[in-house]
This record gives sequence, C-alpha cells and structure tokens, in this order.
Amino acid sequence: MLTYHTWLSKVNPSFKFLIIAVLFIALLTVHNLNTMIWITGLFFILYLVFNGFNIKLSSWMLLLALILAVLSSTTMIFFGQGTHILFKWHFLVISKESLARGCHIGLRTFLFSILSLIFVSTTKPVLFFYSLMQQLKLPPKFAYGFLAAFRILPMMYEEFHIIRAAMKVRGIEKNKGPKGQYHKIKRYAITLLAQSIRRAQRTAVAMEAKRFSLAKNRTYYYKTGVSSYDLIFLLTMSMIVMLAFVLSSTLPLTPFTNVIE
Amino acid sequence: MKNHRKLKLTDILVTIVIALVFGLIYKLWGPVSYLLKPLGFQIDQLIYGMWFMAGPFALLLIRKPGTALLAETAAALGEVLFAGQGGVIDFYYGFLQGLFAELVFLVFRYKSFNFSVAVLSGMASALASFILDLGYGYLFELAGWNLILNIIFRFIGAGLIAGAFSYVLVKALESAGVANIVRPVSKDDYDVLNQ
Repeated sequence: MLTYHTWLSKVNPSFKFLIIAVLFIALLTVHNLNTMIWITGLFFILYLVFNGFNIKLSSWMLLLALILAVLSSTTMIFFGQGTHILFKWHFLVISKESLARGCHIGLRTFLFSILSLIFVSTTKPVLFFYSLMQQLKLPPKFAYGFLAAFRILPMMYEEFHIIRAAMKVRGIEKNKGPKGQYHKIKRYAITLLAQSIRRAQRTAVAMEAKRFSLAKNRTYYYKTGVSSYDLIFLLTMSMIVMLAFVLSSTLPLTPFTNVIE
Repeated sequence: MKNHRKLKLTDILVTIVIALVFGLIYKLWGPVSYLLKPLGFQIDQLIYGMWFMAGPFALLLIRKPGTALLAETAAALGEVLFAGQGGVIDFYYGFLQGLFAELVFLVFRYKSFNFSVAVLSGMASALASFILDLGYGYLFELAGWNLILNIIFRFIGAGLIAGAFSYVLVKALESAGVANIVRPVSKDDYDVLNQ
C-alpha cells in the first residue's frame, strides 16, 4: 500500500499509534467550531504533503472520507435541537444550532479519517506489530497471531470465489427477498468461517511447534527502535494543535464558539 | 482443569482470524450504515448491531475467557488498519464493547452459552457503545423522540444481529464439526476416555 516513504514512515509505529490515540481523546473535548475548522485544515495539509499513498489511492480515500463526513452530519443537522429555526418541514427541523453542531460532527469525522489515513499511509503493518512486541511488550503470541491472520485473509478471498463458482455449478437457486438473502449470507458465512477456522487451527499448531509463542529471550527479525524522528513527530503534532488554537482565537471564521450550548 | 481455559496461540489465532473477518465487515458496514442515515428516524441504528458481533460470536464458538474482549478489540484494530471511517476511535469502542460482552459471560461464570446469554451480551455491547457516545456523538443533543428511537433501535439491532445471529451461526458451525476443534476439553471428553 505504501508507495512513498516520507519521514512519517520512519517514526516508531507504536509511538505514532499512541500519539494519534491520545490526540483522538483530546480532540473530543473540542466543542469550538472555529478550532475544529483550523485543526482539520492544518492536519489536512500535513496529510497532503507527507502521506505515503499514490495520488490515485489517496484521492479515493479522501473522496470516501468526504462522503462519510457529509453523511455523518446529516442526522444532527436535520433532527438536532435548537431554537433559531432556519427551515421546517414535517419532522425535519434545521436550526442554527443544529446546523453548527452538524458541521462540527462532519468536520470531526473528516479529521479522524485524515488522522487515520496519516497513520495507515505511513505505517507497514508488519513493523507495527514488531514494534508492539519490542517497545510495548505485547506477548508475541498476540502479535504473530495477528500477522498470521492477515495472511489468511487473501486465502479466504480466493475461497470465496471458489465457493461461489461451486454453488453456481451445483445449481443452488437464488431465492429473492430478505429470507433468501439471509440464507445466502448464512451459506457463505458458514463455509468461509469453517474453512478458515480449520486453517487457522492447523497454522497455529505448526507455529506453536516452532516456538512462535515463546515470550522470553527471543530475537526479532525486524528491529524497531526509537529515533529523533519520534521527537520531530511529537513536536509537529503538538505545534499543529497549538497553532490551531491560536488561529481560532485570532482568526475566527464562524460565530459558533461552543456547539453544545 | 484451570489450565485448559488459558488462551493458547491456537485460540488466539482462531480468534484473530475471525476478528479480522469481522474487521473487514465492520469497515464495509460504515458506508452501508451511512447510506441509511439520511432516511432519518434512526433506521440505521437497526443494523448497528453488526459492529458488536465479533465479541459474542468468538466467545460462543471458543468458550474461553477473554475471547470476546480479544475478538472485538482485534476486529476494531483491524478496522483501523483497513482505514475505517472512525479511525482510532473505533479501537476504543471495540475495546469497551468487547469488555461488556465479556462481562455478561463472566457473570454466568463461563458456564452458560445459550441463546439468551448471547442476546444479553450483544445488548451489553450496545450499552458500552452508548457510554462512549455520551462524549463522542453528541447523542443527547438530538431531539427527544429521535433519541428514544435511537436507543430502542440500537438495542433491538444488537440483540438480533450480535446476539441471535451469532448464536445461529455458531450452532451451524457446531453441526459442521468445526467448533469442537477449537473448544477446551471438557469433563465429558475425559469421561468418554474412562469408559
């Protein structure tokens, strides 16, 4: 998935994950629409400049994030509480307050997508799990469990095509309606799950025999460590947040400073 | 007997494989749910229960303490790594939902795995999601009737999909002969040997 290697891909994966995880919680306390606009804008720029996806994948991801952001704001815009009513049609009431709150939620959805894209587009999953084992002391049986499970997914995808072809060959009729759909889902789910559970069990037995679950005194093929890039990452992220707060008080773009009120 | 209940690499790998499959479904479920959202009347909440399914399903299948928590957390982590919509926030949701599903089985001391316990654990996950929604979704800023619909629909969906559907699927896997290779050895199995 990673096409380009920017400096963000040199940051320790666990550290990156932790910083972004803390940032998510911190951002939940932001109820000022102006601050949200600035934070989103600044992180969007960071993503555009330093993401590791190629242009095509990056644009698709952004388009998807944008659509989700717009859709996520609709419930609050149409059905939220508020006193300054702008538009009314049966159940649908749009007020100034609900509009601001809806925009806030939409922006936050977009911001969270951007932050995840920053992480995903600059992190190799394998290195993430190796770093979890080495820096955060995650027991190897969990980390290798994850890595092996990722390898099983493409096999399931292949199996899905085989099962579909097999069902076609045997002339399993297509039932229409919700009941037919239910049976179809069940048929695929059972066959796919049964096969992969058996495969996972066999793989695990082999891995245990090769001492993959050994926790003490083990060596690692990939070594992950801490570097100066981690400090740069921490500084960049905190600078962006601080800059956004400063900009929101000096250059407020909307009159809404608290969307909860 | 106690040792049989500890998670081994086999249990972990099977749980995580299941979890990643659900992680992929969770990721795809985002757009599905958002398509229903503009319909209003909180219709989308009826299918919200899909996001709770990994936990109860894994525990019903493997029947070892910790599998619900591991499965739901791993599914959420999978969703994050597949670039799901909620980002890292999904991880927190997954962890708490898994924990609540797990607690239901813990209350029954991991001895009861019947239909009602399954439904209960699905609904416990829904409760967990509401706790996080308090801070995250501005849930209580919705108009009153909309909020009530939201809560009722989510609990119904959770019971139906995460509880009932998980139970049906696990039953089917049992009859396919898959469940017994991943479950801990029970006293009955030893009794068979002694005969």
